[in-house]
Amino acid sequence: MHRIYSPLTLVLLIALVIGLAIVSNLLGGSAGETEPNVAKEISPYVVFTVGPLEVTSTITHTWAMMFLLGVGAYLIGRNLQLRPALVQNMLEWIVEAIEKLIREMVEFEDTAIFLPIVGTLAFFVGSANLIGLLPGLKSPTPDINTPLAMAVVVFFSVPYFGIRTRGLGGYLKHYVEPIFLMLPIEIASEIARTLSLTFRLFGNIMGEEIIISVLFVVMPLFVPVPMMLFSIFTGLLQAYIFALLTCVYIGGAVRAHR
Amino acid sequence: MDWNNLPWDKIFVVLTVLISGPGIIVGVMVPAIGQTIVAAAGLKAISRQPEAGDRINSIVLLSLAMLESLAIYVLAIILILIFADPMLKYIVRVE
Repeated sequence: MHRIYSPLTLVLLIALVIGLAIVSNLLGGSAGETEPNVAKEISPYVVFTVGPLEVTSTITHTWAMMFLLGVGAYLIGRNLQLRPALVQNMLEWIVEAIEKLIREMVEFEDTAIFLPIVGTLAFFVGSANLIGLLPGLKSPTPDINTPLAMAVVVFFSVPYFGIRTRGLGGYLKHYVEPIFLMLPIEIASEIARTLSLTFRLFGNIMGEEIIISVLFVVMPLFVPVPMMLFSIFTGLLQAYIFALLTCVYIGGAVRAHR
Repeated sequence: MDWNNLPWDKIFVVLTVLISGPGIIVGVMVPAIGQTIVAAAGLKAISRQPEAGDRINSIVLLSLAMLESLAIYVLAIILILIFADPMLKYIVRVE
């Protein structure tokens, strides 16, 4: 059963990605509008309204993506094999990479308690950045509410893990560790890094989308394709950086002061 | 000169766009120089000690992300200035 995946598989995968980007390009370019508008291409549209609430495309796409991720994880996890096939192998590689990241950055003996939040954030950010490439879909991350929500999750998970590993007193003591004058600086840095997490993810993906939309408006045929291929790299890199920074912030709360 | 009858809304929009260009130039150039220094130092460190490559790699990426956020702040401010200026409603006369 030892199968080696031939170079043909890789070539087919790359061709699939390029073909998807071209189809997305053609669909986006032939929207048939007399006056293409960059701001309208990026901003989310209202799908339906519940009373005073407007449910935008960000929310529907996020929920569809979460549903797909959950069902996919359940289907794959139900049938694990000792000698993994392609999909399980790929996912195991990603999970092992996240575990290695936690081991290096958090430096705590029991890495398994950090894996759920860091892994979920990495998968969520990565797939949220990538679904914008599928034809007809908008990725949720250029809407500032999605990165803000994830940064707030990180903001609350840091004291949770700090208290869980060091106890309440031990966690609160690290605010005043060298001298108590550090207290306002520590609190300010907690708020500032939440904002910086938000704006890093939002600005990177937003800038990418703006460039692709401007290229659509200027030269709609085939010219945005290299930029869209580059946005795959950017989206995955941003997911990695989000997970890395989450690990660093959690590690700062978990480690004893040395 | 009649200062009250000048088209201040148009002047405001033109000034915003004129300032946004140099603003994003400076705001991208300075973090780019910082990122260059970090990347060069990381390459030197890896070539001196290849066995520590993984750890250096993640720290270099961390520093690059921190520097990247400076440019992103400038981008966010410029985007707000161009697309959704909060000051514009005080300038433009609502007829």
